[in-house]
Amino acid sequence: MPHITVDDQSYEVPDGRTILQALDELGLLMSGVDVPHYCWHPKLSVDGSCRLCQVEVEGLPKLQIACNTPVKEGMVVRTTSERVRKAREGVMELLLVNHPLDCPICDQAGECKLQDYAFEYGTPHARSREPRRALKKKVDLGPTIVFDQERCILCRRCVRFCREVPGTGELVVQGRGDRSVIETAPDQPLANDYSMNVADICPVGALTTKDFRFKIRVWFLEDVPGVCTGCANGCNVHLGVASNKVYRYVPRRNDAVNDTWMCDAGRLSYKEIGAPDRLREAQLRDAAGRLVTASLDAALDEAAARIRRAVSAGGPGAVAALASPHATNEDLFTLRRFLEALGSGAAAGFAVETGRADALLLKAEKAANAAGARALGFGPAAPVLERIRSGGARTLIALGHDVLGPAHGTSQGLAPGASEELLRGLDTLILLDSHHSALERVAHVVLPARVAAEKHGTLTNHAGRVQRVEPAVEPAHVALAEGEALTRIGQRLSLPGFAPGPWDAREVSKFIGEVVPAFRGIDLDSVGAEGKPLGPGASA
Amino acid sequence: MGLEAPYVTGYLSEHFADPAYATLEGYRAKGGYQAAKQALALPPEQVIETVKASGLQGRGGAGFLTGLKWSFMPKGGEKPKYLVCNADESEPGSFKDRILLERGPHLLLEGILIAAHATGAERTFIYVRGEYAEPALRVERAIEEAKAKGFLGEKVMGTKLRHDVVLMRGAGAYICGEETGLLESLEGKKGQPRKKPPFPAEYGAFGMPTTVNNVETFCHVPHILKNGPAWFKGFGTDKSPGTTLFGVSGHVTRPGLYELPLGTRLDSIIFDHAQGVAGGRKVKGVIPGGMSMPILPADQLDVPMANEFLRERKTMLGTGGIMVMDETTCMVRVGCVISYFFRDESCGQCTQCREGTGWLNKVLNRLERGAGNYDDLDVLLDVAAKMEGQTICAFSDAAAWPVQGLLRHFRDDFEAHVRHGRCPFPESFAL
Repeated sequence: MPHITVDDQSYEVPDGRTILQALDELGLLMSGVDVPHYCWHPKLSVDGSCRLCQVEVEGLPKLQIACNTPVKEGMVVRTTSERVRKAREGVMELLLVNHPLDCPICDQAGECKLQDYAFEYGTPHARSREPRRALKKKVDLGPTIVFDQERCILCRRCVRFCREVPGTGELVVQGRGDRSVIETAPDQPLANDYSMNVADICPVGALTTKDFRFKIRVWFLEDVPGVCTGCANGCNVHLGVASNKVYRYVPRRNDAVNDTWMCDAGRLSYKEIGAPDRLREAQLRDAAGRLVTASLDAALDEAAARIRRAVSAGGPGAVAALASPHATNEDLFTLRRFLEALGSGAAAGFAVETGRADALLLKAEKAANAAGARALGFGPAAPVLERIRSGGARTLIALGHDVLGPAHGTSQGLAPGASEELLRGLDTLILLDSHHSALERVAHVVLPARVAAEKHGTLTNHAGRVQRVEPAVEPAHVALAEGEALTRIGQRLSLPGFAPGPWDAREVSKFIGEVVPAFRGIDLDSVGAEGKPLGPGASA
Repeated sequence: MGLEAPYVTGYLSEHFADPAYATLEGYRAKGGYQAAKQALALPPEQVIETVKASGLQGRGGAGFLTGLKWSFMPKGGEKPKYLVCNADESEPGSFKDRILLERGPHLLLEGILIAAHATGAERTFIYVRGEYAEPALRVERAIEEAKAKGFLGEKVMGTKLRHDVVLMRGAGAYICGEETGLLESLEGKKGQPRKKPPFPAEYGAFGMPTTVNNVETFCHVPHILKNGPAWFKGFGTDKSPGTTLFGVSGHVTRPGLYELPLGTRLDSIIFDHAQGVAGGRKVKGVIPGGMSMPILPADQLDVPMANEFLRERKTMLGTGGIMVMDETTCMVRVGCVISYFFRDESCGQCTQCREGTGWLNKVLNRLERGAGNYDDLDVLLDVAAKMEGQTICAFSDAAAWPVQGLLRHFRDDFEAHVRHGRCPFPESFAL
């Protein structure tokens, strides 16, 4: 482990690292030790071309690029000397010679590294009197990305990303010198499952996503840390929120989960939060068999009444439940406690929609918390459905509608028609769900649920990493976390352990840690920003 | 086509007037391949020591010590080792390698064999400038002859040495003459210099340990092995031994290639050998070593042509391409031509080079049009300074130096353009 000195401060760093890597691993890069850079990216190969990260290394006559200079025992690095300052100023001036001054209409403004570094390291006045390079302003690179050639500073991160991460290599540098432009080959558009990451890693406003561009100025957005719920990978994200609306997901770095990337499908799944098909009100089936809007209290009362009747008529075994792989660990644990309190603990399982997977991030299970459901003791849905089919269970509490096996995937449940038919025969179906589905057609009580972006809780990803979500937005309508809805029903039933008082995900998460061995030491607070792996004893 | 010898001959070019010298038979008749035969019997370390002792400097422009470069190659190891002969002669003003390729292809091959033995390389790639059709053809022919007669391939000249030579032709980019840009191009990629580390001796052609040498460098080697380091040091200066092929072009009476010892005075080359400026005009400035080297004014031509002296005048020997400009020449136009070349040829990787070459060119063009101001001169110097010593390869420096040189010695020309609002040199060459 070599010892290096950076700006008179000594550090011990791992072997075989470059200066930038070492600073990155120490958590100092741009937060303690400022070595500005464009072409270097922690998850891509070294390019060494932007020349902004030059630093002084004692004993070497020329400035060295920190991105490609391996650390050595006793190396003395200076990042704040006059020579370094002048070199940065030079690079900034040269980068701006041909960069359009269109910040007022540029979508990157506010999160633009060229803007930031020009302010920090550049000179306030442009000396160039020459006309700037005139290039294409709006090149359609593919289904997701628009390219402004004039704004490009040719750091080539996007080119390396396509080659090195999805391995598709759609982007190339065409031409040379100051005629260089990023291009795709004819009839080979930028179209891969991860294409939108190029907009994230583009330090300037050259690459923008068709989805987000011109939607909102980024300085109006608040970045709320969260987790993508598109599949079991649980990619860490920042939710861009303004006026109680989520405008985008951007990947949040977590080297244990998603590095700095996320897939396009997951990125666009933010749209489900404010989707038109959200369940917006509680509903009850009336005497004529129609679902009608009801107050939340009326629906909760009705749910409690129906469960009470079912238990008194057929014993606790008459009630079954389907857990949701979209709900949080805290919601699911509350369901488990609810069923235990009823005395029908065994009659519960869950279904999860499956789809395409790859070796990078995409996981087959298209839900964020299937592993959590398993770790909390929920098995497959089939035995539950079997119990319904055999007439053993006449009342079902369903969290989510995954049992229907939605349109784009297969399901561990039954074929859509079959399960709907089966569930139609129930005395009572209490549905806690966030979005409309065919399951409403056979439900008797419908309670609108919150999605992960609207509540506190934890989700367990495919690898057993427990990660935190927090409310980024408030639902614009009536909605309860499943755990809260179940708690209020439990309170109405005076179930043991369901004392009056609000449901608190934080308290529940602590309780999980006390009762479920795999969750020992894990709770909402202790998982931190990057999550924590389940402990031993976790079921697969 | 009749062959004309270079005007002054030394050991490299003494037989170049003889067309047979380019054939295996003709080359052997002049003692060719004797040096290789001797060298192959020596331990490789001794060959490297001999070349080190000779003080031979690379003739590709940077002047790095050849023996030292060879010694960087790893000894033993699993990986095959390669040599690359840089025959991508593209420096404007240089045309020495072309003549060596055309007239002494076996001299080159012999030098390669000695280097192969010294470094343990099993293959040499000769990367020939795309435009050099005839030289490539002649080298191809020499390779075929050498293969057929056992001078290449398995058991070279009956020894244990196995060596193949493969000729590759470039596609016309100047930057492919930079050694790692060459390696990229050789591998079929876009010609862009590689960042260092790793250096070619560790990770070169196709990822294998590689030494890249210029054509002329290889051509000196058989002579050094045959005659010894002391003999070699008898030519040139203490620090810059040997001869070199000076290419003289521009406003001289007798342009051409002159093989002369390093350290020969520049004014002697121009006036004694190339017979001065035609038409009785005066010299205005001379680029001493190919276009990327800073210009010298007429009153500084008394300099010996060796790096240790040229550096004192803030220029370098480069590739020995001497370009002479007479008093009619507009130095701003010279700047326009040079900066256009470097703008066009920059690979575009590094910020300073990509943007700086274009900026210099635009400012110079504007000055030449008469639309410049005095501040522009400071901008030129400042941009050039920012381009210097901060990039992946030396191209950016090579683009900056000539502009600095022009402003150092011919600032009056620039200021006259600003003052008059037009080019005051009506007789100058046209752009």
